[in-house]
Amino acid sequence: MFNEIIVRHFSNPEFAAELDDATASIELGNPVCGDRISVQLKITHGHVQKARYQAWGCATSLAAGNAFCAHIDDQPLAAAIATSGAAIDSMLGELEPSQHHCLEMLEALFAELHKRAQ
Amino acid sequence: MKLAAIQPRTTTRHDVVASLRQLGLDPLTSIVASASRLYRMPQEDLDQLKTALIADSFRHHYEKNAFYRRACIEKNVHPDQITQLADLTRIPLVPIAKFKSASSHELLSKPLSAIEHEMRSTGTSGVPSISRRCSDTVDAAVIAAYAMFREFLGISKGAGLYVCPSTEEIPEMGMIKALNMLSGLLDTHRYMVKQERFDPAQALAQLHAWENQFTRYIIGPPFLIYRLLAFIKQSGQRIKLDRGSKVITLGGWKRFSGQKISRDEFDLMCGDYLGVETGAVRDIYALVESNVMAIEDQHRVKHVSPYVHFTVRDTNDLSREVPAGTPGVLGILDPLSLATPGMILTEDIVTLLPGASPSGRSGQRMEYIARAPSAREFGCCAVNLERKMDEQPAGAVCPVAN
Repeated sequence: MFNEIIVRHFSNPEFAAELDDATASIELGNPVCGDRISVQLKITHGHVQKARYQAWGCATSLAAGNAFCAHIDDQPLAAAIATSGAAIDSMLGELEPSQHHCLEMLEALFAELHKRAQ
Repeated sequence: MKLAAIQPRTTTRHDVVASLRQLGLDPLTSIVASASRLYRMPQEDLDQLKTALIADSFRHHYEKNAFYRRACIEKNVHPDQITQLADLTRIPLVPIAKFKSASSHELLSKPLSAIEHEMRSTGTSGVPSISRRCSDTVDAAVIAAYAMFREFLGISKGAGLYVCPSTEEIPEMGMIKALNMLSGLLDTHRYMVKQERFDPAQALAQLHAWENQFTRYIIGPPFLIYRLLAFIKQSGQRIKLDRGSKVITLGGWKRFSGQKISRDEFDLMCGDYLGVETGAVRDIYALVESNVMAIEDQHRVKHVSPYVHFTVRDTNDLSREVPAGTPGVLGILDPLSLATPGMILTEDIVTLLPGASPSGRSGQRMEYIARAPSAREFGCCAVNLERKMDEQPAGAVCPVAN
């Protein structure tokens, strides 16, 4: 059910934490299944200093939170929002049909980050 | 009618578990398939067998789960100390809230790669409680569920009117998943809630369409079946179901408004408007975080799965077990859970029924009382479902809201 990418992110949630000095936040939820991801960001001078998350729901949604933060942490904001659709689609590896809602949540996270950057 | 008892044997129950393993059989799947036989064992024999299974499971989680092992060490409990029924109260219980926490990964006693199925129950708080099952647990739980359905419901054919959404709409919801399994025993079935909308007139029409073709069963959460009953009452369209028909409920008797549906009134309405016999309403207590089921017999007594142990704790001192007949917080020791500890402290207040069972079955019998006052969830997924359905536009909602 879970590919190696999801297992790695779920089992080693390196970026699961709360940020005391966050400058921005993103909250996402799936109303059907109840999965929720909360991302806190510290962005200064166009640079994502820190990206941390908390997630509630299925293992894939927890992995999505970690994968998102791992990708943008300590990165220029411009580079983060320039992440291609193809790159986003591959961040969680090959998914089962029941897991695809988590890819949609991941895409929504990037979309929200884009809005924050504008 | 009392069930015939099985005579005790000299082999200890611990030997039985080891013997099954030596034969190359899985003790869990072998034993849960024999639910009927377990209920006919002498109580002492059943207790020994149950203790052996739970002790085995406890050792598994102690050895494989660092988070759980730390909790055991803090409480100075070791698997070697669990040998008799009285020792089971020493086993540390995981608060059920842990299943919905951001650190639920700590519950895993097997790697995530071994997980085959995730099931959820999203209660009124909106935070999902995630229960993860490995293939071994799914094997045992599926067999256990069907053995319990056969023991208490005796269904092998007929038509099921599901007054609830389908698993296609809500695949992860535990309540729907469990009810859907029952459809495997039926000849036909139909789900009457689609996109959170329920038309009781259509449900009634479906029941009529099956008349004289199939024994009809009505299945779903009480609040939705209650809507059907209320519609029949108000429209004056009584129906008489079949001699073996049953109304099978799961999901609790409390509505999101806080109102509690009266069980006695519900049963009377089923008799008056569906024409079912006394004892045909069978409620089920279950929760997504455990593989236990407590299914009612014809005397309206809920029987706990015979290989699961319920421990009822003092609400003021959770380390203390209260005697049968006294309400308390329910703790569950479920040996089928192998991916995560099946040792759970719920947020439910129950009582274990003392004395002998009218049906003659061994094992524990329970009565659900209420959610604990400290519960973080007001209700389970059924209550949440009702709230969403009532939020639908007025024209799309069942005309009988209460």
